[in-house]
This record gives sequence, structure tokens and C-alpha cells, in this order.
Amino acid sequence: MSNGRPLPKPNADTAPFWEGCQRQELRFQKCLQCGTVRWPPSIICPRCHSMDTQWIVACGRGVIYTYVVYHVAFHKAFQGDLPYVTAVVELGEGPHILSNIVNCAPHELRCDMPVEVVWEKVIRQFTLPKFKPVRGANHDTGSGT
Amino acid sequence: MDLIRLRDKYSIVGIGYTPQGRVPERSALSFYVEASANAIKDAGLRGEDIDGLICYRQFQPVANDVAVTPYLLAQHLGIRPTILSQESYCARGQFLHAISLIEAGFCKYVLISYGDNALSGGRSFAKGATNSEPTEDLAAFGESGRVAQFAMAARRAMHEFETGPKTWKEIAVNQRKWANLNPIAEMYDEPMTYEDYGNSSWVVEPFRVYDCCLVSDGGRACIVTSTERARDLRQPVVTIMGIGEHNPSVDIHQSDFMAGPTGAKAAGKTSLDMAGITIHDIDACEIYDCFTYTVEITLQDYGFFGPGEGKDWFKDGRTAPGGTMPVNTSGGLLSEAYFMGMTPITEGVMQLMGRCGERQLGAATGTKEPEIILCSDNGAVFQSFASLILRRL
Repeated sequence: MSNGRPLPKPNADTAPFWEGCQRQELRFQKCLQCGTVRWPPSIICPRCHSMDTQWIVACGRGVIYTYVVYHVAFHKAFQGDLPYVTAVVELGEGPHILSNIVNCAPHELRCDMPVEVVWEKVIRQFTLPKFKPVRGANHDTGSGT
Repeated sequence: MDLIRLRDKYSIVGIGYTPQGRVPERSALSFYVEASANAIKDAGLRGEDIDGLICYRQFQPVANDVAVTPYLLAQHLGIRPTILSQESYCARGQFLHAISLIEAGFCKYVLISYGDNALSGGRSFAKGATNSEPTEDLAAFGESGRVAQFAMAARRAMHEFETGPKTWKEIAVNQRKWANLNPIAEMYDEPMTYEDYGNSSWVVEPFRVYDCCLVSDGGRACIVTSTERARDLRQPVVTIMGIGEHNPSVDIHQSDFMAGPTGAKAAGKTSLDMAGITIHDIDACEIYDCFTYTVEITLQDYGFFGPGEGKDWFKDGRTAPGGTMPVNTSGGLLSEAYFMGMTPITEGVMQLMGRCGERQLGAATGTKEPEIILCSDNGAVFQSFASLILRRL
């Protein structure tokens, strides 16, 4: 059960991404003309407007571009998770996606901290890509944050 | 672009207020209607003079309210304008559209209006949301809208340059001092100290309650016409000396402008170039301040200080009453009331008209007598930006 949590609502553009998540694959479109890996999914490449596209499977590693700590649950289903973290993760292939950072105390997080995907099965039909810090990774501890 | 030919050619001629703050038992439409009628009256015009009607975005109606459209507003005002317009996604082109319609010859008097019953209706942009069932995939991760999205930008800025609560508390406290001089401000009776700021609860870290704008019932409207016509109307003439817009458009989660430059940089330059001035000619600012950080990054992108220098720039009450660069003299969205860009822009007009009572710029508040005020409006999460330079003729 999703415990009342909102679920993704795949549409014609995003269905391949969510189908990939079910197989624990982080799928993105890559432009076959200029090589740009894009997110969100689109019929064309926003850089060169080519429609020539293939879906690739990302390596699942990246860094935290930015993050926030929720102290208020705007949706009641997340009340029990407080305080919880949402973050924009910059994947190695380039795309910035929103997710949660798990397995880490919020005050230990830093921008540019290396993270890797972990899969969380919400219900039978949906598996969400979340991220955890890469332990032992050599990273800037983020002075000034 | 040779926009200088449009400098001072158009003016804002009437401002409409309504009761504001917590005003229960009122529809959003009623605030649009009352603000609009008051703006028409304030300018010394009649309803039938209005041939252009532009509404700001109407959010999801609360309870049993109807969604406000320009059709409804025109019907309730008893007018049949040549042009109706309403944006639906928070872009901030209202004033540029108004000027363009008049310049092209389609309209003479364009009414711009906004109203909402967000506070009594329980809709929230900040906290305590009761009817914000999310519809986007991001909701699966607990992502819930504007506070978090601006907080993400602010966190990235903390990483890229020296900013954070030390800078933002100065902004919040300085603006509250203005609100304490403004009897219609929601926070008129509530002073704020640095300690109050530091003790206010987290909403979405790094933002505390006092980093976030208010949620308000009420409305605000104004009318744009040619300066030539403005000279024959009731109020002192306040022109649009310069105007610029820029729409980076990219969703904040994929943006590369969280820590600037935001649209403020390009829009600000366009407006300054049109006015033929630099920021050194600005006497005061009315900045769209959905969050404290929005004020910092906007003024930084305008060029008032370099990245991270805001920490010192805002100190010692520079932007407060008595300061050398007054900012958000009504209290702003943080401490007066939330009416989108109408809060800062109408305040700029009222200041230049000299109608601000205890908070009036000049001798009353130990500040410079204003001739030129820089105003900003910001839509979605740094996706749309408008810059207006207002001038008292």
C-alpha cells in the first residue's frame, strides 16, 4: 500500500521512465544528434531540436545539487517522515531530478555530496528512485553551507 | 531595441484597495471587483472608460467559490472591454501587455486586477495547506510547492556564495519596520527583533516562518493609460519610466539560475536602459518578496551589491525607515499582504504620489524624497521576471 501517499501518474511522455524504475533502471532520453541526455522527457532535444532519440540507462550516481529539509508536512501522508529531505540530484549523465536523500541525517548533507540510487518499492506498480550518500567518497565538506 | 521612445509615455493613474488581511465570508471575486471599482474611482474614471482588462492568475478556487475570469469581473463591473486577458501560469507580463495594447492603439485605459481569499479560504502558499492535493509526479517524493522550491534555490545560493539566515534576518526585520508604519499591513501591530526571527519555526529549511510571505484575503488593482491622458486625471502623474521582462522559464528543479543570475538581471537592464538611468539614480525599491532570499537575489542581480555582499549591505537598517535605500516600504509580501506583484508595484506608485502617510518616503521617515522607484515582479520560481521603473513627473 502507498499509505495514502501520492503516486506518480505516468503519461505518454513519462511512462518509459516509470517502467524503467519498476526494473530498477534509471532511464533517460539521449539525443542521437548532439548527445545531450535530457529530463524531463520530450519529443525533441531542447538543445538541437532533433527527434532522433534513444533511451539509455543511467549509472545511478551523481551529486546533490541542492536540498531542503521539510519541517512541515504539506501532505498528511508525510507527517510521520518529518523531518525529511528532498533534493535535486545532478546525475553523472547530466540530468537534474528531484528525489529524496535517505540513509543520512539531514544535518550531514552538503551540496555536491556524492550519492547513488537506492530503489524503494512503494506499491506493486511503483518503485521510486531515491538516493543515499556514497560512503567513504572523497568530497568537499561544503564550507559555507 | 530602441525602447527609449516609450520612456515616460505611459502612467499608472489609479490604485484600488480593499479590506485586507483576514477578511472572512468573502469570495475571491468580490475582492477583484471591489479593488477594480476602487481603482476606477481613484483615477477619476468611469467604468465605460476601461477598454482593457487584465487579471493576474487565479489559483484553485476554495470551497464553493467560482474561478475568477475576466468575463466574470467585466460582468460584475458592468463593462464590455475591447480586450480581456488573464495569464494562467504566473508569468508577469501584465504591465508590458497593457503598454503594448495602448501603444498599438487597441486600448486607452487598461485595468490590471488581482484578488484572493486565500487566508480565510485555507489555501496556502506557505504553510497549513488544507486543499493542496498535489497532481504532479514529484508529490510522490513529498515535494509540495513553492516554499521548498525557493528554499532549494536559497540552499544552492548558500553553497555558491556567502548567504543565509544572517542576511535574511536583516531583510525580514527591516521590512517589518516599514509594516509597523502601515496601518493596513497584516503585521502592523507586531514588531520583529532578530531574536524573533531566529526563534521562528522552520518551515522548509533553510527557510523559517519569517522568511516566507503572508497569506492574505483582499485585492489590489490599478490602471495604465498614456501620460498625456494621465495629466487630465485626478492623481499626481506617476510614469512608467522603464520596463523590462525576462522569462528563463525552466522549472526550478532543472534550472541553472538558483543562485543567479535570475531574470532580474536581463529585465533590470532592459528597464534601466529604456529609462536611460543606472541603479545609482534609484531612490527606493519595491521588490517582489515571496521569500527573504528573493529580495536578496533580485537586488544582487540588479547590481546593488556583489554575490554574497548582501550580508553587509542590508545591515544597519539600510533598507529600513531612515535608511539610504528603502526597500518594500509597505512591509511587502513578507509583512503587509500578498497580492502578487501588485503589492510592490502599487506601493511604488502610492509613494511617488505622496499618499503613504506615516510611512511616506521623505522627511516623514528620514529618507530621500523619492523621484524614481524601482519595482519588481517575479512569477513561478524565478521563471518569469518583470522590472518597472516608476517616476514622479
